Amino acid sequence: MSSTTAPAFTAVAARRTLTGSEPSVPKPSPTIWSKEVREWVSRGFAAATDDDGITHDELTAKIKQIITEYMSNESMYSVDWSILPIPQYFIQQERQQAILGPAYQPNAMYYPTPPPPLSTFREQATVPASKKRKSSELGVDQEPPWRKSNSLLEDRVTYANPTFEDRAEKRSKKRRDETNKATSKYQNDLELRKQRFGLHSPSPSQPPWRSRSETPAPDASSGPVIGTNEDLEKKYFRLTSAPKPEAVRPQRVLENSLKFLKKKWREGASYPYICDQFKSMRQDLTVQHLKNEFTVSVYELHARIALEKGDLGEYNQCQTQLRALYAQGLQGHPTEFLAYRILYFIHTANKTDLNDVLAELTPAEKDDVSVKHALDVRSAIALGNYHKLFRLFIDPPNMSGYIMDRFIDRERVSALAKMGRGYKRALSLRFLAEELAFESVQQCHDWFIAVGAQDLLESKEDGSVWLAADTPTYKLFESARQTTFSKVDIKGQI
Amino acid sequence: MEPILNNFKAAFSQGNGYAMANCLMPAAPKDDAGLLYGFYRSTNHFSVQSDIRSFLTYDSRGLFVSKQESGLWVDVFVAYWKAIGDILHAEEASNQTKGPGADWNKVYESWKDMLNALLRGYTNSTFPAWSIPCLYVAAKYLRIFAIKADEQTEKTKGAVTFSQGLSDDLVSSVEKNEKLEDATRQINRIYGICSNDRAPMEESRKWGLYYFTNLMFKCHFKLNSINLSKTILKSLTASAGDMPPLHAFPKSHQVAFLYYTGVISFLEENYEKAEENLTKAKQLCHKDARKNQELIMTYLIPCHLLTTHTLPTMALLGPYPRLQQLFLPLAVCIKKGDLAGFDAALAASEREFVKRRIFLSMERGREIALRNLFRKVFLAGGYEPPKEGETGTNRVRRTRIPLNEFTAAMRLSLKLRSEDELSRDEVECMLANLIYKDNLRGYIARDAGMIVLSKKGAFPGTGV
Repeated sequence: MSSTTAPAFTAVAARRTLTGSEPSVPKPSPTIWSKEVREWVSRGFAAATDDDGITHDELTAKIKQIITEYMSNESMYSVDWSILPIPQYFIQQERQQAILGPAYQPNAMYYPTPPPPLSTFREQATVPASKKRKSSELGVDQEPPWRKSNSLLEDRVTYANPTFEDRAEKRSKKRRDETNKATSKYQNDLELRKQRFGLHSPSPSQPPWRSRSETPAPDASSGPVIGTNEDLEKKYFRLTSAPKPEAVRPQRVLENSLKFLKKKWREGASYPYICDQFKSMRQDLTVQHLKNEFTVSVYELHARIALEKGDLGEYNQCQTQLRALYAQGLQGHPTEFLAYRILYFIHTANKTDLNDVLAELTPAEKDDVSVKHALDVRSAIALGNYHKLFRLFIDPPNMSGYIMDRFIDRERVSALAKMGRGYKRALSLRFLAEELAFESVQQCHDWFIAVGAQDLLESKEDGSVWLAADTPTYKLFESARQTTFSKVDIKGQI
Repeated sequence: MEPILNNFKAAFSQGNGYAMANCLMPAAPKDDAGLLYGFYRSTNHFSVQSDIRSFLTYDSRGLFVSKQESGLWVDVFVAYWKAIGDILHAEEASNQTKGPGADWNKVYESWKDMLNALLRGYTNSTFPAWSIPCLYVAAKYLRIFAIKADEQTEKTKGAVTFSQGLSDDLVSSVEKNEKLEDATRQINRIYGICSNDRAPMEESRKWGLYYFTNLMFKCHFKLNSINLSKTILKSLTASAGDMPPLHAFPKSHQVAFLYYTGVISFLEENYEKAEENLTKAKQLCHKDARKNQELIMTYLIPCHLLTTHTLPTMALLGPYPRLQQLFLPLAVCIKKGDLAGFDAALAASEREFVKRRIFLSMERGREIALRNLFRKVFLAGGYEPPKEGETGTNRVRRTRIPLNEFTAAMRLSLKLRSEDELSRDEVECMLANLIYKDNLRGYIARDAGMIVLSKKGAFPGTGV
């Protein structure tokens, strides 16, 4: 192992580019290091474990080297030692660099920059709280800003367009003026590819199962990443190492991505694509520690789309995050999502969690239209009032209908078991279609066929269809009820 | 340190485990408030080890079986001394308005060290099994300190922790009750050490099993993870064969165990089982343990309402003003068939009910209220005109009742105004529910707009 990692010690490219001076190695002076420096060193030793593949000697050498470097360029006191990553981090960086070759530049983690004030990015959540049943309809009534810049947005995704090159040049020039570390698009792509390569083939000296433990534990004090990526689209990859700024998009870009994705979704893009894009956006937000109203709007939209597509797993992830974000006092649509949460617990028949939600409700929340609807649904089911339940199903607020879809058939079965008991004579399908909130008598008819009740249906001379009531209906639906309620698909993952 | 260690030595030589446990209390007894202070001040960090060692082993010939045993007890008391120091500091700090405040996390950690020192004596069976009450005290207070530590953490850090690592989403798995979860794991460890004891029953640690099971239940309830309790329950029933029967255990263990298993069954909506366990718990419960009786009845009353449709009487609720306040308004409305009153009473005590996890069960009392209302309609309907040969004694009640009468009764009971709507379909729906659950016998004749009730026992269990 040491044979492959040894060369890594000579190349300290990142330092050279930043200082522009050759690190001369002065004789370590008998200076007493400041408290911060000593703490940093002890942090390094404290974090040393047997399984990260770094020997004690390597660690000591690295610490010496770093301190010497800072001494030599007189930045000893300008560096904030308390937030400097532990020495292991630099060793890992170098190893990775050694694997990837000289073109790869470790990111500028040497000087973690504080995040820009969020207020500069803050944008009012654009999604109005109107009653909509389609997530794509949400936000339709505002003037879409991307209409005007339509071509621009398209260009930025497909690199074939030559105008893109110009624009990217301009932008990168601008950025270079700002930060002096912009990279050309080509380099950008190259690095992305290399990064990907690096992710998939761990260093030859390490068996694959070691690669995870070799990842430096991201230090909380190392601060957030500041993204520099300009792409509107980005494929989602699960992170296995600290994120690279050039692969992360700042909020400014993400805001455009969100608009772009909204448009794509409205134009009928496939759900797997949209979901993937949203996941990468969420990742970018996370690694940059962005917790603001824009974050909320990303999660809200993803949750709505997931609901519409019946992807309850993804919806749940968003819901969890949203709860925490709302708890931070961020603006959004907390009551809308509270209503979904209640309905979701009805779906999973999770009495414990349902009780906990009820325990947390405030009077103001109870008065909210969507929460009230969800609570009414709950009580209607608890009291067996299927008549009221199906009235509530016909006119749900927001996207509540999509969760109700999940358990409505179950409730239909349960209602029919009761009807089978309560009525002696046949019931007309017209009545049943209305009572059980089917869209039409035909749909109702099809549903009965689908659940295997065809033998109970009877056509009359006037063309109307009747469902035999009494014992056979009761028996059929009672046994169906017992099987459906005994196995509720809790996760609802697709 | 003399008083505590002398007591300990006396209790040890008498073989009195509970008296030994008293010497490991983290709180001073009422009649000697300065006991722990004196104990803490009698030595210091530098010499605590040697002081305790010399005191414990001095003039104690024959007390300890082996040098190893005395050494382990010395470790226990050194850890205890350190924990007492942290506890006294924390209590002092929480009494002061200024300053950094009490550090309960530190208390938790040092108490856990004490527990681990104690546990070492049991893992290799050095400590006699009859001294297990020491573990009771250690585990009981571990839970208490864990809760305090978590409360403190939540106050200082806030309930939400955001992830910093490589996760895709902002919020990492919420570690709201970190210490309590850890405490539960520790207690589970103790449970394991007790249940693995192969010694003959007379000197087995298995006598502690129910105590630790109850303690874990307590933690799970606080953590809102009652599912974990079911796992414990399973492992306990699996090993029941090698254990003395429940009724051989101390009564306090029995009552707590029956109470918790009763509540678990209650939450699973297995009301028969719940009623069985809770009734037993109530019978065994000490007559002066008012609070425990109240807790048991909080679940027993809803159970009884749902299984047998009977309401608590004044005589039963009399000695418990809190239960009266909780259940009496609802009971009155159910009896009268007053739906509007029921809804109002339910809404009024919703918060209390939800807190005790009985809301979802109490809500179902509305069905009984509705049944009582419809029963009134049936009774008000009077009798069929007597047929020939019928005498006054076996007259038949009117069994064909127009749906309108039920609708009118519901409107009255719900205190609906003339413009409020109550559709015929909804009334039919409620009737179908009653028939389905066999609270009413008969059927709905939809075309005729009639309800045809059974001639005999139209309302089972109510005498008509």
